[in-house]
Amino acid sequence: MKLSRLLGFDILGEKYAYGHDPEIGYTAAEKIPDKWVPTTCGYCSVGCGMYVGVKDGRAVSVRGNDDHPVNRGKLCPKGLAEHHTLDTDARARDPLLRRGGRLERVGWGEALDEMVSRFRGVQQKYGPRALGVVGTGQLVTEEFYALGKLVQLGFGTNNYDGNTTLCMASAVSGYKGSFGSDGPPGAYDDLEQADVVFLIGANIADNHPILCYRLEQNPRTKLIVADPRVSKTARLADLYLPLKPRSDLALLNGIAHILIHAGLIDRDYIDAHTTGFAELETHLEKYTPERVAAVTGLSEELIYRTALLYGRAKAPFIGWTMGVNHSTKGAETVNAICNLALLTGTIGRPGASPFSITGQCNAMGTRETGFTSGLPGYRKFDDAADREDLARLWNVSPDELPTERGLAYPDIVEACLKGDIKALWVIATNPIVSFPNVDVLRQAFENLDFLVVQDGYHPTPTTEIADLVLPAAIWGEKEGTYTNSERRVSKVNKAVDPPGEAKSDFDIFLAGAEKRGVRERLYPGWSGPKDAFEEWRRVSKGRLCDYSGLSYELLEQRHGVQWPFTEEDAARLNGEPPATSRLYADGQFQAENGKAKLWAVEWEPFSEQPNDSFPFILNTGRTVEHWHTRTKTKEVKILERLAPTAWLEMNPRDARRLSLQPHDRVRVVSPRSHVDDLELRITEIVAPGQVFMPFHYVERNSNVLTQSAFDPLSREPNYKQCAVRVERATLGR
Amino acid sequence: MSTHPVTEENPFVILASGPAPNPEGLLRRESSLVPKIPLQDGEQYRFHFDMSKCIGCKCCEVACAEQNNNPPDISWRRVGEMEGGVYPNTQRLYLSMGCNHCVEPSCMTGCPTEAYSKDAATGIVLHDANMCIGCEYCIWNCPYNVPVFNEERGVVGKCDMCHGRLAEGDKPACVNACPSEAIQIEIVNIEQWKKVYRESANAPGLPSADDTISTTRVTLPGGLPLDARKADYHRVKPEKPHFSLVAMTVLTQLAVGGFVAAWLLSLLSESRTPDVAGTAALIVGLLSFGISPLHLGRPAFAFRAVRNWKRSWLSREIVSLTGFGASATAYAVLLWLEIPAVNVVGAMATALGLCGITATSFLYLVPGRPAWRTPYTVVEFVLTGAVLGPLFIAVLGVTTPLLPVIVAAAAIGQLLNQVWKFVALTRSEEFEKQASARLLSREFALLVLLRLLLVVAGGVVLPLVDWMIAGFVLALAGELLGRYLFFVSVVPKNMALTFFEQAEAA
Repeated sequence: MKLSRLLGFDILGEKYAYGHDPEIGYTAAEKIPDKWVPTTCGYCSVGCGMYVGVKDGRAVSVRGNDDHPVNRGKLCPKGLAEHHTLDTDARARDPLLRRGGRLERVGWGEALDEMVSRFRGVQQKYGPRALGVVGTGQLVTEEFYALGKLVQLGFGTNNYDGNTTLCMASAVSGYKGSFGSDGPPGAYDDLEQADVVFLIGANIADNHPILCYRLEQNPRTKLIVADPRVSKTARLADLYLPLKPRSDLALLNGIAHILIHAGLIDRDYIDAHTTGFAELETHLEKYTPERVAAVTGLSEELIYRTALLYGRAKAPFIGWTMGVNHSTKGAETVNAICNLALLTGTIGRPGASPFSITGQCNAMGTRETGFTSGLPGYRKFDDAADREDLARLWNVSPDELPTERGLAYPDIVEACLKGDIKALWVIATNPIVSFPNVDVLRQAFENLDFLVVQDGYHPTPTTEIADLVLPAAIWGEKEGTYTNSERRVSKVNKAVDPPGEAKSDFDIFLAGAEKRGVRERLYPGWSGPKDAFEEWRRVSKGRLCDYSGLSYELLEQRHGVQWPFTEEDAARLNGEPPATSRLYADGQFQAENGKAKLWAVEWEPFSEQPNDSFPFILNTGRTVEHWHTRTKTKEVKILERLAPTAWLEMNPRDARRLSLQPHDRVRVVSPRSHVDDLELRITEIVAPGQVFMPFHYVERNSNVLTQSAFDPLSREPNYKQCAVRVERATLGR
Repeated sequence: MSTHPVTEENPFVILASGPAPNPEGLLRRESSLVPKIPLQDGEQYRFHFDMSKCIGCKCCEVACAEQNNNPPDISWRRVGEMEGGVYPNTQRLYLSMGCNHCVEPSCMTGCPTEAYSKDAATGIVLHDANMCIGCEYCIWNCPYNVPVFNEERGVVGKCDMCHGRLAEGDKPACVNACPSEAIQIEIVNIEQWKKVYRESANAPGLPSADDTISTTRVTLPGGLPLDARKADYHRVKPEKPHFSLVAMTVLTQLAVGGFVAAWLLSLLSESRTPDVAGTAALIVGLLSFGISPLHLGRPAFAFRAVRNWKRSWLSREIVSLTGFGASATAYAVLLWLEIPAVNVVGAMATALGLCGITATSFLYLVPGRPAWRTPYTVVEFVLTGAVLGPLFIAVLGVTTPLLPVIVAAAAIGQLLNQVWKFVALTRSEEFEKQASARLLSREFALLVLLRLLLVVAGGVVLPLVDWMIAGFVLALAGELLGRYLFFVSVVPKNMALTFFEQAEAA
């Protein structure tokens, strides 16, 4: 420390000075930028509009966009500190190639040559499908669109999926099953219009705080929250349903049962717009309130009140997130949610929507364009007309398009383990932290001949084991669009240059295509993301996710526009903001007969029930301060201070039985592995017999405990329930 | 009296404007979160925090750090957590607090340099970093632990309600960031507030508003369980040891005790030995007092600490101990020069020295540190002087038959004082006092026993058998250890924090 500081002459007056910014007013002088760059937040799928403040080529501040229809100037704590994710030592700066066991710096030319030739080698030896690709929900739509073409047409493998399967695959499968297509029908505006908001397995106060802001604007609504844990959201509820873990499907069936018996269903709507009612009615007979009360642990009275509130509402909203999706019954639970909306015939009304609140900033973009679980534009692999349509638009032979989906993420991992996949390209995701029963994934990756990890950060637990690391630009360093949960397409802009040699994922894909010799065929005349966007507008035209009326200019001007948005919609605008869009208001669904399907789905107990050796049910989830595997938020010091370490929540009754004290260090053991040295929080937030831990922390990773159990339909993992025991820590203090 | 309409719901609050209707789909709601009207006489701005709306997202905390360019470990606004009830009727509550801009701000009263002011126009309690010397005394004084010491600057800082933003008609950063609109700026009439603050300024997770009359109004959610408790209730950590203050306080008390004892003996004796001993005690005092600025964030500006002698016990301590040093030095000089009337100067030094010990002890009687705010602190400090002072001069060869008896009596007093203090802390209903007792009886139990043994051995047994040097060494070790325990075992009053956090120890 300097002497002038030690004596007290220097108090860093300049650093702590204030000034006046024309946009945000009086603020710390160092936070005042030269320019504000408009963009969209790169964390979650709420899709908040914001500006990044840039000074001397560095991002120094952010502010919410007051005019953005989603967030109206508000941001969550992660968004408020998002500029700190850019300029950190943990960023990946150079391509790194493993030589003699060590990752060494190489040039882009050499890195991509190596990647393309190694992929070719593996594919020549083991077949084209021996290459797998695991993507993300974090790229811009233009990149997803480009990547899909590159993987399926350029590299010729359909073993392509994303970490979105760990997140909202159940919602996708459920929507497809019920409505004939993916695509959340509602809008955030519904939160402000609904007279009942029913959140099931959705802790929006921690995970989507800005949706709480939207809900706050609606003082008329009754809020019902179903969650086994008294989450921050549960405490906001007018009616809280502390249901037993994974009894959600029984509860939803029980509500449907009461709706039918109380005559709170719309028979005309059901007859006109749905199929499957007779089977459902018979099926639901056994979901009597008595039985549902026994399964859920809720009183019959509470179940009746919920059903009547929902059934009598003019515009009931049901929102869900990972409490529903992270389940081996996830897709069917989504069907049961959609059943409620269909039985009451409310879907499409302002306020009423079965609404999947998505995870990542652009999970929706990959669903629309991504070429993973479907063809771009919600086209189906097994539909010849869809394939021909796409082939015509792309000027390729329909035979080049795969006729079925390749392996889903968990099955890619399984194939690596079995040796069927020999080379893997992982893009913008960190499976060593996020994949369930992660030791299996580790073994699978060790089995590979060649692992490429493309990421904005290095080292991450996954880049550390890569054979080739490709450094990528992240949010704030590249251009494109994100689609949020309400189908709103918003513009993402470049504020600063990526660090070192890092390139945008878009440029990496184009350069990779060049090396593979497919660039002109896949990306004719493309130079930037806008070229991809223009092609995607044509490809999406006439589809449910119709972008044809959108343009970068309109998105900038209107701060995001919901799809479908046709050229006619654009022509009708006439200077006015686009109206809120809701799907299926006309009762016309995407299934062949235009009718939605009511599904008779069965509740089942989760597979790994607690027993004498593992008496607790472990629930996992998030905290507001951190994002996913903490690659980004670990670098934001204030967030790291606010939530520095993983913890375990346990009910005081259990703690007494185990003679544990608050702040004791504990060890959690599942049949698979254990996590040591967790700080114990003794709390009434969790029920006796249940424990909770957050999943962000690689140092104490909940995913060494979780199971390899996947939804048979969506392939989404069952993160939310597994059996564990809790002991005093053997490591630690 | 205000001329604004007074609502029935809030007889003392004047809201500038209600939520404005917005026909265009609420796209940009007109803000009612800051007053749009000027303050009248007798009014000030204050925070309103709506606990029923807060979702614990900590946006306010992040926005505050960005607004003020504070390092990530410094929070001028903090979000705390409380929990009550039994599953599934669990109540989770959050508390977001900046500065409470109190009617009677104890930070300001205690600040020796007058770095704090209560803005005449707005009532905002402002802190001037340029005037601050980093003594951290405001942190001890504040019952809400609001001011935070900034290591890299050497000064404290705190929430100023973004007065610079308010002046421009903008919302403070926290108000602006809150997605639940749980934080608001209101206008309060101070005289009316003084009558009714207890109902609205007190809330679970907050220290009593009585100490300083916090102006923050808190709206509580309905159905509040009576057992809502801070999430950090069980996390009690020792405070900073402040070694320079341990040394400074014990040695200045030794010096005053030694000087006074020597001066009294010199009145009875013809010998010059007491004067030599007294001068030696003075030198110890001057040295220890001289090193005390080293604990400041800005030692070069220590001289400013006398500015607030009218209100601050810290200023008074410095004034009286400086006076003691000066007059005792004068006494010594006069004595060596054999100039008469030295006893007047000696009496003056004695009086100033006793004032100094008193001021030192009174400066620890702060609202923010309940375990200090007891008579035991004053007794402890005086008895430290009474034990160590006479022993010190005895070591230098000045003694009378009475001296060991006085020392032993003082040491027994100190022993009883410590025991009584511990019992009182244990029996207190105040959380912070109980928590101090918890620290003393668990983390520091061995050191407490050692401290009591040392005072008995060094202060009672050894002097009575005339082993003065050994007695002095053990007693000095005992008092230093005792003072160390005094600093580390105090548990500050604080707002509820999160499960993880403890405010920066001060």
